[in-house]
Amino acid sequence: MSMVEPMLPSLLSTSIVLFQMMCVIVVFAYLITRTRFFSEVLDGVFTWKNQLFLIVLFGILSIYGSESGISILGAPINVRDLGPVVGGLVAGPLVGVMSGLIGALYRLTMGGFTMVPCTIATILAGLIAGLVYIVAGKKFPGITVAVSLAVIIEGIHMGLVLLISRPLSQAVAVVSDVAFPMIVANAAGMFIFSFIIANLKKEKETRGERDLFHSELERKNAELQIAREIQTSFLPEKIPGIPGYSLAASSIPAREVGGDFYDIITAPAKKTGLIIADVSDKGVPAALFMALSRTVVRANAEWHSAAREAIQGANATISADSRSGMFVTLFFAVLDHESRRLTYVNAGHNPPLLFRAGSDPVPLQITGIALGALADADYEERSMDLCPGDVLLFYTDGVTEAIDDQYTQFGEERLVELVSQNINLPPADIIEKINSAVSVHSGGAAQFDDMTLMVLKVGTI
Amino acid sequence: MRKRTILILDHVEIELMENILRVDESRSGSATIVSLSGRMDASSSPAAEAVLSRLIGAGERRIVVDMSDLDYISSAGLRVMLASLKRLREDGGQLLLAGLKPEIKNIFEIAGFQRIFSIYPSPEDAVSSFDARV
Repeated sequence: MSMVEPMLPSLLSTSIVLFQMMCVIVVFAYLITRTRFFSEVLDGVFTWKNQLFLIVLFGILSIYGSESGISILGAPINVRDLGPVVGGLVAGPLVGVMSGLIGALYRLTMGGFTMVPCTIATILAGLIAGLVYIVAGKKFPGITVAVSLAVIIEGIHMGLVLLISRPLSQAVAVVSDVAFPMIVANAAGMFIFSFIIANLKKEKETRGERDLFHSELERKNAELQIAREIQTSFLPEKIPGIPGYSLAASSIPAREVGGDFYDIITAPAKKTGLIIADVSDKGVPAALFMALSRTVVRANAEWHSAAREAIQGANATISADSRSGMFVTLFFAVLDHESRRLTYVNAGHNPPLLFRAGSDPVPLQITGIALGALADADYEERSMDLCPGDVLLFYTDGVTEAIDDQYTQFGEERLVELVSQNINLPPADIIEKINSAVSVHSGGAAQFDDMTLMVLKVGTI
Repeated sequence: MRKRTILILDHVEIELMENILRVDESRSGSATIVSLSGRMDASSSPAAEAVLSRLIGAGERRIVVDMSDLDYISSAGLRVMLASLKRLREDGGQLLLAGLKPEIKNIFEIAGFQRIFSIYPSPEDAVSSFDARV
């Protein structure tokens, strides 16, 4: 203790030493909090291994706290209590007391007239911090409590010195010199530790929530994938062959699942039922409604011999189940193979187009409202005779309403032109042409709506 | 935190919707006019559905949907209209459509919906038809 040094340089060098001490604490705190053992304890998982690890490390911090003890204005200050307090606040009384014990034993070897109170104070610091940990619900109590506790514990430390160390006058002299800088140093050290721990906890929580979010997302995607497979199984596995006709269909949902569907029902007496339908909206709600509608329509089509009665019956059932305003536009036709007579009901579906050589395409206009919109709706049934060479194009509005980045729709005009140009191709190839033209039109942008196509071509028997 | 993330996603989606569809409300006499402008498709319809549901939930019984500035309506948009109409009728209310452009009217007609919706040339006509019913 040199008393000849001038005041200002001494204050400066003291500040530098204090700053160095804080740097050591920062590095120490960073390293210890990044270990697996510390992380486990923060999660409330205690093993003898991680507790021993923390006892030793906080014990070492306590020893460092004694060793780095520097003199401020001639009085020694130290952060010996910091290790045990942090240990106690993070891992409970056992770690607090044991690491305090290590620091205390080291302090014993240093001797001096404040030896006994300092030794007791270090163990007591670990114990009190451990009890605060328990009171806080067995978790780190947060920055404010931790820093306040550091201040209180240094107060107790000073009290013990006054209580035990003799002569009293010397004890009073030391305490009055040392109390303020020590409280500040310990509080600052505690703040560094708490800050890093609080950050770590927040980081862990965020990561946990993010992981949960991701795993939920993955689960939902897996579920949608399954839903897609189930839905695909609702579509005819393969198109049944009709002698004298060729038929092809495709359905591409905009999302994993969709509201479009087509169906081909083989009926007795050389007749085939053809269905194309589009449920309002898309995604899962549409898919569920599609499953309902498809089943109801199929059951009614098999039950009633007349197309009109089948659709009327299906509409009554679907309307009863549609509280959310869901509806399905549906075109249902029964084809008599031999007479080539097509009998149809169009329930609000965009009109299929009949391409016949030498004339403009003829739309098969609607004969009633979309299914599910009006419970007691009436449907009209119409018939027409097909000729060899006729091509019937059934589609959903996802085809004509596919947009490019300028919101320009693919449109019916383009569709008609494309089909007219390729009218001599087999149905499957016509569908292929349409799908690729629409995809070029939307310029690889995300598909906007479900797209379903069915093409029937009349040959010669 | 998870909730917050989802909220942020929702917010982005709502912002996108606003670019496509604008939903405005105003009062005219005894009726509320909901004006739709832009495109009403599967992604933007929920914005309109939210407004209509709120109005109906708050006890509004006379709603006119002004479609003068609506450029496109998909089946998802039709569903929102149909759901609102059904809900209002159950509660003894009425939903009228007004100012449909020919292409919008055509979409309603294709689905057969002109039979269940009352369609008026302008919002004023729709409102005065309410007054005539009193």
